[in-house]
Amino acid sequence: MSDFNLPGTIDRVDGRQKVTGSATYAAEYRPAGMVYGVLVGSRIAKGTIKAYDVKAAENAPGVLAVIHHLNRPNIPGYAAAEGDTGPGGLKLFASDKIYFDGQPVALVIADTCERAVHAASLVKVAYQKEAPQTDLLKIKDKAQAPKRGGAPYKRGEAGAWQKAPVTVQGEFLLPHEIHHPMEMGSIIAVWEGADKLTVYDKTQGVKSAQRTYAQLFGVPADNVNVISPFVGGGFGMAIRTWPYQVAAILGARKVNRPVKLMLDRSQMFTMTGYRPFTWQKIAIGASRDGLLQGITHEAVGASATYEEFTEGVVRMSQIMYACPNVDTLYKLAHLDVSVPTWMRGPGEATGAFALESALDELSYKLNIDPVELRIRNHADKDPENGLPYSSKFLKECYALGTEKIGWYKRNRTSKSMQEDGMLVGYGMSSGIFGAYRSPASARALLRADGTLLIQSAASDIGPGTGTAMVKIAADILGLPYDKIKFELGDSNLPPAPTQGGSGTTSAVGAAVHDVCTAVKEKLTELIKATHDTNFHPGDQPPAFKNGSIQTGNTVISFGELLRRNNLQEIDLTRNSKAGEERQKYSFYSFSVHFTKLHVHPDTGVVKIKEIVPVADAGKIISEKTAASQMIGGVIGGIGMALTEEAIFDHRYGRYVNSNFADYHVPVNADVPHIDVLFVNKPDPYINPMGAKGMGEISLIGYAASVTNAIYHATGKRIRQLPVTLDKIAL
Amino acid sequence: MINFEYTRALTVKAATDALARYPAARLIAGGTNLVDLMKKGVTAPARLIDINSLPLKQVEENSRGLSIGALVINSDLSAHEIVLKKHPLLSQAMQAGASAQLRNMATVGGNMMQRTRCTYFYDTAMPCNKRQPGSGCGAIGGYNRMHAIFGTSDKCIAVHPSDMCVALAALDAQVTIAGPKTTRTIAFTDFHRLPGSNPELDNNLKAGEIITGVYIPPHPYTRHVHYLKLRDRASYAFALISVAAALELENNRIKSARLAMGGVAHKPWRLQEAEAFLQGRQASMSTFKEAGKLAVKEAKGFGENDFKIKMSPVAIAEALHRASQA
Amino acid sequence: MNDPHKQQEACGDSRRDFLKKSTVLAALTLTPPALLKAGEQDEAIAARFEKIPLSLEVNGKAYSLDTEPRVTLLDFLREQLQLTGTKKGCDHGQCGACTVHVDGRRINSCLTLAVMQQGKKITTIEGVAKGDDLHPLQEAFIRHDAFQCGYCTPGQIMSGIACIREGHANNEAEISEYMSGNICRCSAYPNITAAIMEVKKGGQAV
Repeated sequence: MSDFNLPGTIDRVDGRQKVTGSATYAAEYRPAGMVYGVLVGSRIAKGTIKAYDVKAAENAPGVLAVIHHLNRPNIPGYAAAEGDTGPGGLKLFASDKIYFDGQPVALVIADTCERAVHAASLVKVAYQKEAPQTDLLKIKDKAQAPKRGGAPYKRGEAGAWQKAPVTVQGEFLLPHEIHHPMEMGSIIAVWEGADKLTVYDKTQGVKSAQRTYAQLFGVPADNVNVISPFVGGGFGMAIRTWPYQVAAILGARKVNRPVKLMLDRSQMFTMTGYRPFTWQKIAIGASRDGLLQGITHEAVGASATYEEFTEGVVRMSQIMYACPNVDTLYKLAHLDVSVPTWMRGPGEATGAFALESALDELSYKLNIDPVELRIRNHADKDPENGLPYSSKFLKECYALGTEKIGWYKRNRTSKSMQEDGMLVGYGMSSGIFGAYRSPASARALLRADGTLLIQSAASDIGPGTGTAMVKIAADILGLPYDKIKFELGDSNLPPAPTQGGSGTTSAVGAAVHDVCTAVKEKLTELIKATHDTNFHPGDQPPAFKNGSIQTGNTVISFGELLRRNNLQEIDLTRNSKAGEERQKYSFYSFSVHFTKLHVHPDTGVVKIKEIVPVADAGKIISEKTAASQMIGGVIGGIGMALTEEAIFDHRYGRYVNSNFADYHVPVNADVPHIDVLFVNKPDPYINPMGAKGMGEISLIGYAASVTNAIYHATGKRIRQLPVTLDKIAL
Repeated sequence: MINFEYTRALTVKAATDALARYPAARLIAGGTNLVDLMKKGVTAPARLIDINSLPLKQVEENSRGLSIGALVINSDLSAHEIVLKKHPLLSQAMQAGASAQLRNMATVGGNMMQRTRCTYFYDTAMPCNKRQPGSGCGAIGGYNRMHAIFGTSDKCIAVHPSDMCVALAALDAQVTIAGPKTTRTIAFTDFHRLPGSNPELDNNLKAGEIITGVYIPPHPYTRHVHYLKLRDRASYAFALISVAAALELENNRIKSARLAMGGVAHKPWRLQEAEAFLQGRQASMSTFKEAGKLAVKEAKGFGENDFKIKMSPVAIAEALHRASQA
Repeated sequence: MNDPHKQQEACGDSRRDFLKKSTVLAALTLTPPALLKAGEQDEAIAARFEKIPLSLEVNGKAYSLDTEPRVTLLDFLREQLQLTGTKKGCDHGQCGACTVHVDGRRINSCLTLAVMQQGKKITTIEGVAKGDDLHPLQEAFIRHDAFQCGYCTPGQIMSGIACIREGHANNEAEISEYMSGNICRCSAYPNITAAIMEVKKGGQAV
């Protein structure tokens, strides 16, 4: 790890564009001749399409095309993929088969958005219905092992918890949750020629989108330009590409004009994935002094019939605590639903709800403080493989959080505290997620005017990628923030990984670090070669400060140095990746969440009063944006704990609350003061900055922090999310 | 949305005449509910008559009490000096509804005319007797957490979603209505109707009639009032249950009481039996709880909304308690 | 800004189709929408036509153009005037991303028709700064990092300015309640509240 200080705060580098409305999101470009596409969704959940009546739609004013499975132009990339799915997921308009309610069955293209929306409403589809199954609990016992991944896990002895003197066990339910970024799925597809495609896209990965579109439409990847500099939130829904994007590109080819397609809010429930309904059963056994002796964790997650989705629901039980005996089993229930996808914290957040709730219950049974119980079972090395951690400051997290929220001042007994006629509850939980470093590359262009341009095909769905990268570059080169520009979100830029799994700062930051270090070396070379400076070999290394280099008594600006060497610019690109340290250490980020809340003793209304999230995410690059990211994850956790649930009417296999009035994401009034704390100690091995990720750990475990606090307040242990007031009051 | 003809009415008579002439036309004021329903395909009027220019925007005190024009904007009314001073229950109820933006658009008449939020009503792929008579009720036997426990029929268990209307029902408001030929006044509690066998009808307006205003007769409930709204998040959500409670107290004795509930019926649900019970008793939590129990005697649940039967007495007692402490 | 009329020409199939269908109707687009006065029941003028003229002011600039009655103010701003700072987050009045000011009031532009804004003064996020000088609340949003992805931000700022002007920014709880009509899925709520509180306390003209 290099010498890396990062003092000072930085305002978000794209803040001005975002507060003035000049930031341009995918649907806001205006290529000449652009027309509008609207997808028609299936109104049944299972069956087949018998017939289309599209005459009224085709004859409606302004309509250019109505595309469906009987007239769909060829999508070459589907041929290579057997079965119902191909690149981009479920094959679009591939057959008469209906796999889920809301499945795209037709695309209508018209010259204005009003005409397209109206014409879409005129498309009539006759179906042969079959009885759908969308209720996981009805087929839980028929759940199957995933085809890929998720093998049964065993460490030590299976079922060992039963032999322990103190045990807890319980079943937990988490409903479908929808990502719901504020910007709905949006795309503008422009065919610039027969084999040249430009896509303004909402994506968390321009390079993977580029590969997918190239594959689908049989054009060279270099001919596909995916542009996505501003993304109005993602939370996982834009990690992969979806059929709606395929539809827009296909439609644009068909009508030979740019096509814009923006999903509506109800389509965001079925066309872009979700966190799946999951049933869990967990059992924990411990000695009387609170040492864990066995954990058995079983989960069944919802998946689709046409495509499999798996995630790490039982993962945290395997890796979090120093428990000698752990066995886990993860299965899938294949339902007549659209395929789920990763949603922030993904499966780990689901699993953490069960594990961290059960530990809380155990702490009451043992009469040991829940923090103390976790410290007693702290894993000093990776319990899975015995490797040392690259860094782990979890105990520091506990210490910081307990101090801040006044944890030890509370009365530990449940239903013992009151304030202003309200029951008071304190709760806590822990979280863990792998800290990764994918290969990434970056280009740096230092110009003679002293400005630095850095480019990488990274994404920013909100955490502030550009801001962190500017901070890294500024620190290395001693340049003021306003002299540095970071360009991202364009597949023509040097490759970078998809934004997901808390990995962007680590991967792209390392590439930026490396390329800026290379620029610095080049400048150092130049100054050594510049005769009229009084730099001599063996002197102190030159200092980089304020866009200049200081050697001895001489100060020379970067621009001046370039000019003296007859250089217009320094233009370097570096690829950066992890090394053998990944084999020597286990890399994880950790979080602890503390919550104080009020519960009304009669109505069950919960009011969260105070939250203290604490993270060991290594070195914090930009504290201001990092704190925002933590706050965002925690509030996502409030939604998970208290408000969010996408509800099916299983008779029809159709959602009954597929809108923003009935699917409740938290609003401003739900949210208290949040004091984010960081251990802020660098990880010596993960990357040159020492920064681990925090996107997932900000959420993982939080729901249990709330339900544990509700237990402390009321004595009620609630294992089914979301905790609406009726679950408490009755 | 289908395109439609758009006209503006400049007088009440022009509006009623146009309605009489074009029964398929709809009046539009704030638009917050109608535009939403049109986008969802729940309704597709061939003609919209914009009534925002009608002279129905006055709030004034006169011999009848407080007279409120049908086009008074919700946010203006809830913040009106006289309303805050003399009708705080109405102010509280209106503040509890929707969002600041929607309250800036919605009118008093439009608030009364808003249609149910029942998910089956809103979704044209689902059965709904209110939207499509004879198609069945999706909520009975389906998702009915938000639905009615009072005054239901086997055709419909939808609820009226307004907060404002609950307070107006409690305060014995009257509705003034203009038709093509005559004007009339009816009790607020008679404006909305129960679903019965015609759930497609939300209220007792006749063809060609429009609401011109509402008035609230003088009443003593200027202090001990509370509007309690239980919902699934802290703000910007429809009521699971709401209670408008008003007490006239003298030395902690209840001289009179007014109680109405929202989120529990096809109309604002006035609780007269509980009001009568409260009259003359000491204000205490036990009295309030008794009143709450009386209120749900006739309640009927449909599965997922059974909790409302248990929750209503608690909510009523809590609202009365807070009113008594106000 | 591009001339919206030019844009209509550029993707002008709608207009050409329309003219093809009825030249009679074309004349009607020049007349104001039918006004219904007392006793004036003859609505012959209100034959089915597709576009009607609309004049309004957006960010101090006057616009006169024809639009279909079914076009919402939100789509009018985004698609016809290309003022895309105002966002579509749900299109049903359930998120607040489309918040603009009409004659000084904050409203959801997705639930009102453009034709209902005849003669009105609209302010969008693009009209809040004075040239290069940001509005104090825009500056406070940057200072407090009151956003992440930025998509709800224009609506939050329009709503926040109104919140202060309405006198509903006296304490954090009041701000939270009166800002609850603006959903932020990245959940910058505490920072949004802090930014509004700071501007309110600072007493600057908003």
